Amino acid sequence: MATARFHQALGTAQSHQHLQNSGSHHEFGNASLKLISKAFKADVGLSIRGGYSSCMRKSGVIQASTSQTSAQPVSYSPNNSSDVLRRKSSEAALILIRHGESLWNEKNLFTGCVDVPLTKKGVEEAIEAGKRISNIPVDMIYTSALIRAQMTAMLAMTQHRRKKVPIILHNENEQAREWGRIFSEDTKKQSIPVVTAWQLNERMYGELQGLNKQETADRFGKEKVHEWRRSYDIPPPNGESLEMCAERAVAYFKDHIEPQLLSGKNVMIAAHGNSLRSIIMYLDKLTSQEVINLELSTGIPMLYIFKGGKFIRRGSPAGPTEAGVYAYTRSLALYRQRLDDMLH
Amino acid sequence: MAAGALHRSIRTIQLHGCSNDSAYTMEYGSSSLKLISKGFTVDVKFLSNRSRSFNHCKMHVFHAFSSHASVIDPTLSTSHVTTNFNQNTSIESSLILIRHGESMWNERNLFTGSVDVPLTKRGIEEAIEAGKRISSIPVNMIYTSALIRAQMTAMLAMTQHRQKKIPIIMHDESLQAKEWTQIFSEETIQQSIPVITAWQLNERIYGKLQGLNKEETVVRYGKEKVHEWRRSFDSPPPNGESLEMCSQRAVAFFKENIEPQLQNGRNIVVAAHGNSLRSIIMYLEKLTSQEVTNLELSTGVPLLYIYKHGGFLKRGSPVGPTEYGVYAYTRV
Repeated sequence: MATARFHQALGTAQSHQHLQNSGSHHEFGNASLKLISKAFKADVGLSIRGGYSSCMRKSGVIQASTSQTSAQPVSYSPNNSSDVLRRKSSEAALILIRHGESLWNEKNLFTGCVDVPLTKKGVEEAIEAGKRISNIPVDMIYTSALIRAQMTAMLAMTQHRRKKVPIILHNENEQAREWGRIFSEDTKKQSIPVVTAWQLNERMYGELQGLNKQETADRFGKEKVHEWRRSYDIPPPNGESLEMCAERAVAYFKDHIEPQLLSGKNVMIAAHGNSLRSIIMYLDKLTSQEVINLELSTGIPMLYIFKGGKFIRRGSPAGPTEAGVYAYTRSLALYRQRLDDMLH
Repeated sequence: MAAGALHRSIRTIQLHGCSNDSAYTMEYGSSSLKLISKGFTVDVKFLSNRSRSFNHCKMHVFHAFSSHASVIDPTLSTSHVTTNFNQNTSIESSLILIRHGESMWNERNLFTGSVDVPLTKRGIEEAIEAGKRISSIPVNMIYTSALIRAQMTAMLAMTQHRQKKIPIIMHDESLQAKEWTQIFSEETIQQSIPVITAWQLNERIYGKLQGLNKEETVVRYGKEKVHEWRRSFDSPPPNGESLEMCSQRAVAFFKENIEPQLQNGRNIVVAAHGNSLRSIIMYLEKLTSQEVTNLELSTGVPLLYIYKHGGFLKRGSPVGPTEYGVYAYTRV
């Protein structure tokens, strides 16, 4: 009926626009708008909200290229996740999550790159974080090589409403790659690749790793320890300074993660205090003075919107039981709406 | 005083016991061992009984290297130490097998194999439950597969453990990984439980069935073929492993790496998968290929074996904290 055709036209117009555009800049023609206004007197805002219950890609205001009506049907099945749409989107979400309490945090030991798992509390923090991001699209996940970050990501994703399945990619050798192969296209489409990278590891604390914070102060002197912990460029013996950590973390972000965002993929990074601070330093263009004063809460996801080559900080998504003023973008609001429609 | 000296020596021996592992870089001489065998001896049975309440300093009887000294729980008072030297004390160590719980592809009825799929909420709960069941059984080392669902099962289970030692995952994939994960406090190392991840403990590779829905596989290949691949001993799916092939690598790993630890008296947890664990059980209980294809392992329910006199005694599953059960722990 009319509504269905309207939806179809909108869908087509949308896909047209995305097909014909490249990069993050869009050309907006007026043709489709005229099409819409000719055939229907719809309140555009209302129709956007009501449409595409199954199309998982976000849309902004509908734009089309100069073409007119097309009879091509657009599939709305969730499995078709409209990869085309995704690639040409102008906006991508970036979520940063710092893992929660580890067993050595609890004991007040310097952890660094030692692979210590989460406590019960850390597990709960991860699940809480997951609830906060349960409505934000995630297409790829990056974690460090340490179990506490990986677990945080996997625990968080058990709360996600979209129900895509994170799959950890193994690239350590040919056998690992071969063994992890998936032989169903449908299944692959329902997967979120998880990439583990040592470059996102916590700052390496060298000879302080495993030491009690008190005894380290006794051994080396309070000021020296304070310097190592809080300066930008002074590393503990055999360890990394924040500067050194930032170098490898930001380089990795620029080389691997930013291109994904550019192509419209929504990314989640689950990592550590110092590797995430380094990335935030890059996203927010902080000075070294500012970054050493930056404290990242554990288990509280930070949302950035990547748009037009820039990172816009959006703070932390409100938890499900919080009445918060949290300004989603229009795209995110639409995504959430679709989730609601899909799951009800 | 004497007790203090004994405690120190014991710590030294425990460390010595661990220094075989490449992760630890401490060398100890055997002089401290002689200290013990000269000065003190132990009534093993009595002490084993006393140590049922596991606490901070874990205790078990084990052989030190070249001498036959027995080592005792440092928390016991010296008044219980007798002077007859007990040669050939029998070593007993516990082996716990845990099969991970529900994964996100189990939930969707997809063939998983060695695709690295994480746990669902339910799988997480199963892991925590399993942890409660083993919270009073000593653990000195943990082995898991290279897949996150087994690793998470182990780490979640250990959050419930009453002993205060901390699992630390060992990394030796590269020189940098080894260096970066080094620990510089001896005391901290003593309070650690090394966790070794091994692909040899991975689930059976299901080859071209990985990611396929179980119904559509039946439609594609036919019911009998699929049943054969799933339930036979030596018939592999295309590009995949048969249960026999999986056993080969899993049992070889067990014999070369895990059994020596048990022989040294270390208590081990193995968190892995249905087929890799079935393979190991086939070895532990000397099952035939017919018997093992009929063996079903419950998920998230730990199985305890006692390693003693070079053999494995099946002890069933430790009861959960709220269950009444007839479950026979050994003295240790």
